[in-house]
This record gives sequence, C-alpha cells and structure tokens, in this order.
Amino acid sequence: MRPTLLALGACVLLAGPVAAQPDGHAMFVDNCSACHQQTGRGIPGAFPALDGDGFVTGEPSAAARTVLFGRGGMPSFKNDLSDAQIAAILTYVRSAWSNKAAPVPETTVAAARAGSVQAVHGLQAH
Amino acid sequence: MGSDSVSFGRGLLTRRTFFNSLAAVGGASLAMMGMDALGFGFASAMAAPPALSGDARGTRVVILGAGLAGMTAAYELSKAGYSCQVLEARSIAGGRCQTARRGFKDTDLLGHTQVCDFDEGLYINVGPWRIPYHHRSTLHYTRLFGVPLEVIVNDNDAAYVYFQGGSGPLAGKPIRKGQIAADTRGYAAELLAKAARKGDLDQPMTAEDRDQLVAYLVHEGYLSPKDLAYLGTEGRGFDVHPGAGLDPGPGKPSTPYALKDLLDSKTWEVLTSVADYDQQRTMFQPVGGMDQIARGFERHVGRMIRYGAQVKAVAQGPKGVTVSYLDDAGKPGLVEADYCVCTIPLSVLKSIDLQVSAPFKAAIGQVAYAPVNKIGLQMKRRFWEEDHFIYGGHIYNDIPGVRTISLPSTGWQGQKGVILGYYAFSGEAAMVSAKSPAERAAFAVAAGQKVFPEYTESFETAFSKSWHLDRHNLGGWADWSEESRRAAYPVLLQPDGRIYLAGEHLTYIGGWQAAAIESAWQQIARLHARVQAA
Repeated sequence: MRPTLLALGACVLLAGPVAAQPDGHAMFVDNCSACHQQTGRGIPGAFPALDGDGFVTGEPSAAARTVLFGRGGMPSFKNDLSDAQIAAILTYVRSAWSNKAAPVPETTVAAARAGSVQAVHGLQAH
Repeated sequence: MGSDSVSFGRGLLTRRTFFNSLAAVGGASLAMMGMDALGFGFASAMAAPPALSGDARGTRVVILGAGLAGMTAAYELSKAGYSCQVLEARSIAGGRCQTARRGFKDTDLLGHTQVCDFDEGLYINVGPWRIPYHHRSTLHYTRLFGVPLEVIVNDNDAAYVYFQGGSGPLAGKPIRKGQIAADTRGYAAELLAKAARKGDLDQPMTAEDRDQLVAYLVHEGYLSPKDLAYLGTEGRGFDVHPGAGLDPGPGKPSTPYALKDLLDSKTWEVLTSVADYDQQRTMFQPVGGMDQIARGFERHVGRMIRYGAQVKAVAQGPKGVTVSYLDDAGKPGLVEADYCVCTIPLSVLKSIDLQVSAPFKAAIGQVAYAPVNKIGLQMKRRFWEEDHFIYGGHIYNDIPGVRTISLPSTGWQGQKGVILGYYAFSGEAAMVSAKSPAERAAFAVAAGQKVFPEYTESFETAFSKSWHLDRHNLGGWADWSEESRRAAYPVLLQPDGRIYLAGEHLTYIGGWQAAAIESAWQQIARLHARVQAA
C-alpha cells in the first residue's frame, strides 16, 4: 500500500506544491494545543512544554516517532495525521516561540512510520 | 491452494475453505457450549475472584487508587484477612466509573469548571457506560452488590447511519442501518447465488452442495427463490405500513437503494457478520448510572478509603513500603505497609516519586494514553423516539470528533433525555477538547443537527468530559503500541520489590471495567501466594 500512496503524493506535489502545503500552525492549534497549550508551555506535571525543549528541537526523527506512536501520556497520531501534516506541525513547533530548529521534511516522518502496522479504526472503543 | 481451487470472479474461493468456514459457524458454537460447561469459552477470562485461602498473617497492604481495580483489591484482600488502607486523590471513589448528574462538578486542566445542571433523574455516564454480557467479572460484582441492571441497546436497525465522506446520493444523509444491511447483503447474496446457479462455482461443488449454498443465500438475502433477485424485503420497512382494513390494508413496500449508491456511500462500513468481541448486541448498564457499581464497592470498602489523599512518593525497603501523600488541606501524611498495590494510571504515575528499578521506571514512561471525549446533551423532548421511532442504539457517523452519537436506553417515552453527543478518542479528541465547554456543546449540537432536524431546537444543556484533561487520569485508557506492549508490558506485570501494579492498563481488554477487576484479581493472587510462601 505505501508505495502507491507515495506515488500519489508525488503527483499531488507536482500538480500544485503550494496549495498542497498543510498549515502547521493551524494544525498545531487543532491537534496539540489542548495539552501543550498555544503558548507551547504545556501544563506542569501533566503535559510537557515544547517551547525551549531540547527533545523538540533535537534529532527530528525522534520527535516524529513520538507524534506517530505516542510516548508517556502522549497519544499516537499515526491514524489521524498524514506524514505531510506531521512534518508541517513539527516544522512549526521547532520554529515557534523561542525555538529555532530546522524544518522537518515529510520523508523524515515517512521513514519513521515505515514498518509500523496501520491499525484499522473500529467504530467504537469501549 | 490445492486441486479444489476455483476461480470466482477475480478472486479464489475454494470449496474446502468455504465449507470449513460454514462448518466453523456451527462447529464453533457447539464447541463453545462444551467449553462453557468447563468454565472456558466466550467470556472474559476470569469469572470469579481468586480463592485467597490460608492465613493473611497480619499483612498490611496499602492500595493506591479507589477505582474499580483498587476497590476490588481492597474488597478481596480484606475479606481474606489482610489489613488494607486505600489512598484516593479524588473526593469520590470509582476512578473513571463516574456518572454526571445534577450537581456533579468537574474542573479540567485548562481551568474549565462545569457543574452539571441536568434535570433531576437525568445523567450521562462520562466514563464506562456498557457491560458486555460476557464480562463475567464485572457482572460478578453487580450481582454480589445488588446493583440492578438494564439492557443497553447496542445495535438498532432503526438507528441512522450518517456518512459524509462517501459519494453518491446516499452520502451525507441519515439512512437507517437496517436498510443498509438488507440492501447490501441482499445484493451480495444475489450476485453470489446467481454465479452459483449459473455454474460458475460448479467445478469443485457437488450439485447438492451448490443447491444448499443457493438455498442459504436466498434465505440470507431475502432473494426471490425463482430468479434469485433482491427486490427489497419487509424488514427494511414500508413506504406505507400495513394495518387495518383496506386502507392501509397491506401497505406499500419500500424500494431498495441501488447497489452502486450503497457502495459509494461507504455506509457498508457499519456492517459486519457478527458484532466485534467487545461490541456485543447484548450489553448492560446499571439502572440510574454506572457509578452505582462504584457505590456498591464503596458500601463494603469505603471505611478503608482515605479521600483527597494525593500520593507524592512511594519508597520501599526489604521490610515494607512507605507511601507519602498530601491531604486536601495540603498536610503531609504517611502510610506504612508490607506491600503496595498501585492502580494509579501510568500517565499520572510517571510523575510520582516511585522507588523502583530503572527498567521499571522506564517502562512506566513508555506507555501512551488515549485522549477520550464524551458529552451529554440534555434534550427537552425525546424527538428520536417520538418523530423517528428510534429507541436507543447509536448513530454511527464519520464526523471527526463525533463518531458515535448514542440515544439513551433508559427513561423510554419520558419527557426529556440525555444523548451522548460525541464519543471520540485519539488525536481528533484532543482537537475538540481544546474548545471551551460551551464551544464543545455547540460543536456537538451542530453535528447532531446534520442527522436530526430537531436537534438544535431541543437542546437545553450539556456536560462534557475530556479524560486527558483530568489530572487524575491524563487519558482515557492505556494506548499500547506494538513496541510498548513488547518492551514495557511484561516488565510492569512483575512486582518491583513490594510494589504491584494493577488496573485496566495491564490487560488485553483495556478500557473496560472488567479489565480493572481482572487485573486486580491476578495481582492480588500473586501477592497472596508470596505471603503464603514467605
């Protein structure tokens, strides 16, 4: 399945690279800010700050794996967000507030996702 | 594939696999009757608490958390002679087993405080809400504590399915589930039956096998026995319902949707041969709210619970454990015991000063927790019953952040009712929870309006819960990845010194109350065996 999807993604990029670019800030507000807060300062004791955090601005594939598969109290977003969306969010987070780290390319997220099994969403949980 | 392979369209259907799977239906049910007689079979793994026989030897156990796992441990251990002290951070027992009714208060981590203002008698189960009939561990305690149950309608052919993501004339329209089921299965049966009768399946099948297959498909899909056509069936409803006399007399049959429209709509995603293992059609709920189970436990173990006690540190040595906590007034306290059963969610436990080995500590930090949202919407009129004839069940939908709307299986034909307005988890739940309580309600009402025209005008008041924004949970349930299940799970099942973990997180049936109970049963049995061996 993955090669087909990547091929499709390439076509989309060729057709309109600007329009296909997801908005990292808007997606951060929608998906992340409930816990990490729009200020990036998190909630002490519950949700870690992203502003000024060495893990966030460090090696990008580690941060990509955290968003994909979850860690600690953090949920997995692998079924909710595409590689391009996660790359855009990470790029935003790494350059927002006092952070000044390099953008994260989609390929980094795709590489981190490779090999994982895509779970099928059930209609309900419990 | 052996010599009995047969080409069927583009796929392969072998006689052996087909009849094996048919036989498996009857065979499995027969096998299950036998297995159930032996105490195994189609039910939660443990049906009764472990027999803790022998002497407790004056052993003291401190239990962290008065949810279902903690109270199960306290109930069973104290019955076996152990001296138990339970520390609970909240002012109420039950953990996630909570019911919001008039006066119920909740403050989330964003600082939103809600006080439930539903009318008297109305409620929403903000945590667990259903008990599958095969969760015998949960049903063990409802019976023991005399908690009356009622059936929750978990599958309703009359309920609407609303899928906006598909295409064609059925996309973005409320369609009754029974109509989708009748038509989709009817057409599928027709196609297979016609292929079989035409001889496309003949090569590996005897004529007798083929006739029986066709007979089954005619029965399954309500096909015309003569030409094997699916033309609709009474079960999908009528355009004019049959009744008395000549008018309406025999009524007027309804017309099935077109196969292409059904396929394009993607509504077939709600159809499966049987319900999922944990989505049984027969489920129960306690009369008056799920927290009746918590109250049942509390009647027996409430005297052992210290409420408002927030655990700060757990230390241990060769002789025992020491738990330090802060009470409601911020005053520090200590509990000393021989062993500790800790049921605090791993998402919260990771920030507590726990004296355990480095691998154990690392394993705690590896486990993700699912964001989970629910909202109760009080409606001034039961329009789903009065105008749409839907009594309980779920409105399955593909609206992100909503996913399930559920109609109450209680208070039938009353004046008002509380609808579960959304039940979503994972990333899309995090999204909705960033909103204020009023915005969440507006979001839920706007979604329901797509299905029911009476939704907005009937809405009165809401109560929402986001489990990842509850500081005592930081998530609805443990969300195990393949990696954490492999690396962290086995570590956390073992005691670290004198500390035993228990809770829904340490099972393969996570998120259910049965998980909390059965994990506690398993861990106290091991603790007891150790005490006996000492």
